Amino acid sequence: MNHHLPGITALTLVAALACGGDAPASDDTPTNDPTPGVALLTPGPVSDAGWNAGAYEGLQRIGDSLGIRISHQQTLTPAEFDEAFISYADAGYGLIFGHGFEYQDAASRVAAEYPEVTFVISGGSRPSANVVALIFQLNEASYLAGMAAGAVTQSGIVGMVGGVEIPTAKGTFVAFEAGVKAVRGDATVLETFIGSWDNVSAAKEAAAAQLREGADVLIHNVDAASFAFFQSVREARERGRVAWAFGMNRDQNGVAPDVIVGSAVIDYTGMFLQTAEAWRDGTLGSEPVYSGLATGTVEFVPNPEQEGLIPADALELIDRARQGIIAGTLEVPSIDFIEAEDPVSSL
Amino acid sequence: MTTSTFQTRPRLTPALTAAGALLATLAIAAALLALGGYSPGEAFAALLRGAFGSWDRFVSFTLVRATPLLLTGLAVAFAFKARVWNIGAEGQLHAGALAAVAVAVALPGTPGLVLIPATLLAAAMAGALWASVPAAMKTGMGVGEVITTLLMNFVALFAAQFLVQGPLRESRGVFNQTDEIPAAAHLPDLVPGTRLHIGFLIGILIAVAMWLYLTRTPGGFRLRAVGASPRAAEVSGRFRARPVVWLAFLASGAIAGLAGGVQIAGITHRMYEGLSPGWGYTAIAVALLARLNPLAVVVTAIVFGALSAGGGAMQRDAGVPEVWVRGIEALVILAVLTVDRSWQALAGRGSRG
Repeated sequence: MNHHLPGITALTLVAALACGGDAPASDDTPTNDPTPGVALLTPGPVSDAGWNAGAYEGLQRIGDSLGIRISHQQTLTPAEFDEAFISYADAGYGLIFGHGFEYQDAASRVAAEYPEVTFVISGGSRPSANVVALIFQLNEASYLAGMAAGAVTQSGIVGMVGGVEIPTAKGTFVAFEAGVKAVRGDATVLETFIGSWDNVSAAKEAAAAQLREGADVLIHNVDAASFAFFQSVREARERGRVAWAFGMNRDQNGVAPDVIVGSAVIDYTGMFLQTAEAWRDGTLGSEPVYSGLATGTVEFVPNPEQEGLIPADALELIDRARQGIIAGTLEVPSIDFIEAEDPVSSL
Repeated sequence: MTTSTFQTRPRLTPALTAAGALLATLAIAAALLALGGYSPGEAFAALLRGAFGSWDRFVSFTLVRATPLLLTGLAVAFAFKARVWNIGAEGQLHAGALAAVAVAVALPGTPGLVLIPATLLAAAMAGALWASVPAAMKTGMGVGEVITTLLMNFVALFAAQFLVQGPLRESRGVFNQTDEIPAAAHLPDLVPGTRLHIGFLIGILIAVAMWLYLTRTPGGFRLRAVGASPRAAEVSGRFRARPVVWLAFLASGAIAGLAGGVQIAGITHRMYEGLSPGWGYTAIAVALLARLNPLAVVVTAIVFGALSAGGGAMQRDAGVPEVWVRGIEALVILAVLTVDRSWQALAGRGSRG
């Protein structure tokens, strides 16, 4: 029986040695840099050429142009979120981005204990004194894309393939649909959410199914699965169908220039930089930060390789709508998800 | 595979195993890191700092991360001890987490003294229920549990996805997550001022109880006998293997389910789609490395917890990307298992002849 114990004791000792041996070098604030750094948590790999890559680029731009230290961690599960926030806050990072709504709970829990640290949550839903929501109004660009789709479609059937049904994704689709119908009132709009941002085969299947139902223009809101989505459109065309696609999130016009009408684009990089500058200047506040056509960080970009595809009169309509959105005279449908002041962190 | 593979004779082995593997892996990992353009020294310093850097780091990060591994590791160890190859801890964990959320959310205003036991009991029962399907298929139809428990994992993961997007979705219906469980259902802190909750203590208690059961009771003897050779146990005529197999499935599933409930009540307070990064699978390594000895599982779970907490710090402090960190973690696991095997062969020479 007791012959188990020496082993356990010994390993505990090893652990203690590792611990003790490292202790002198391990104060939790590795540098005495008076300037607090900027940190970023992403839910996925920064090599996704989409949501995470854009944020990571933004972080690097912050490091370059503000000249402060930066750090990034990719987290896997909610259990790690608190840990990462606490570690960064302890290590003297003053601005911490959590790039996804899923970071909201952990930020709310941790923020109360670090009032001097600002937490910025992309798509955050519960702002508080030092938890700022970063809201990407990609629905504005999606609306313009929808107008273009309404002008391009011949069958009058337009499809949308989404990833996970969260408010931001859903918001781009309600706006896209409104845009389509603003140009072509009798259009039918199909919608599928595949339940994943990067499930390649599901994205391809969903696109193929909508094409079979007669859709000839499709938009997506997935992440790494977008390549398969474009492939599906391309294959339909190889079978002699009329089929067009829209890019989303980033300028994807170059990804599939043969099938893309245009892209609804968020400039995450510019957005992160603007936010970090406001934080440095002390003007960030605790109100949600909106990123839209008006701030120049959201845009609809027609594919330059397909010039003439969107008729000139439609382009003019789109431009007028853009002006209207910026001026505030045209309201684009959206899905609201901001709650009142967070009760947890105001305790 | 000889029966002695899973004999319980650790002596000094866990310690030596860990130390040996650590050295071997350090060398390989350092070379790889250097090749990738990262500073090995910085990376390892970050790993140690993240896992053991201070008392608070050790308790709040390493032990917190070790908790689900401890419980699922115990679940796997118990089943394997009876020669029930339960690969389904991951699915049982999800079943437990879902049941925990469902019960805790459905009983607002219940005092914690009632709600916490109810929540954890629901989790354990759901885990056992999930394990009962492969158990019935094995004892009733002779279907191998390696396949069935594994497949039940996928069923659980998809069920969780469906429930979180549908019936159990938060009441304001915005995000794919459940409502938050009431504060009364949150597990109390084990060490005040840290993030460690009593789930870790529950794990230790189960480890001790399991060890006592296996080594000190007739039931434990029967389980080990069936594990050593189900046919021999039957032929001996003293008892039947079937109830023992059922017990192994149900207890294993219950403990894995409890792991899910503890994670919900202790840390996340609600259910998401990506609750577990694969604890139920890592648990197999945790249990095997501990030679299925419940007390040693405590140690190996902490080692794996340290590794994963240190991995986070490697990303933050040394800029090593997540895929590299996971690669290095996998290297460590491989090294540990390799060293374990060779040490075993060495140690086994005398006794096996």
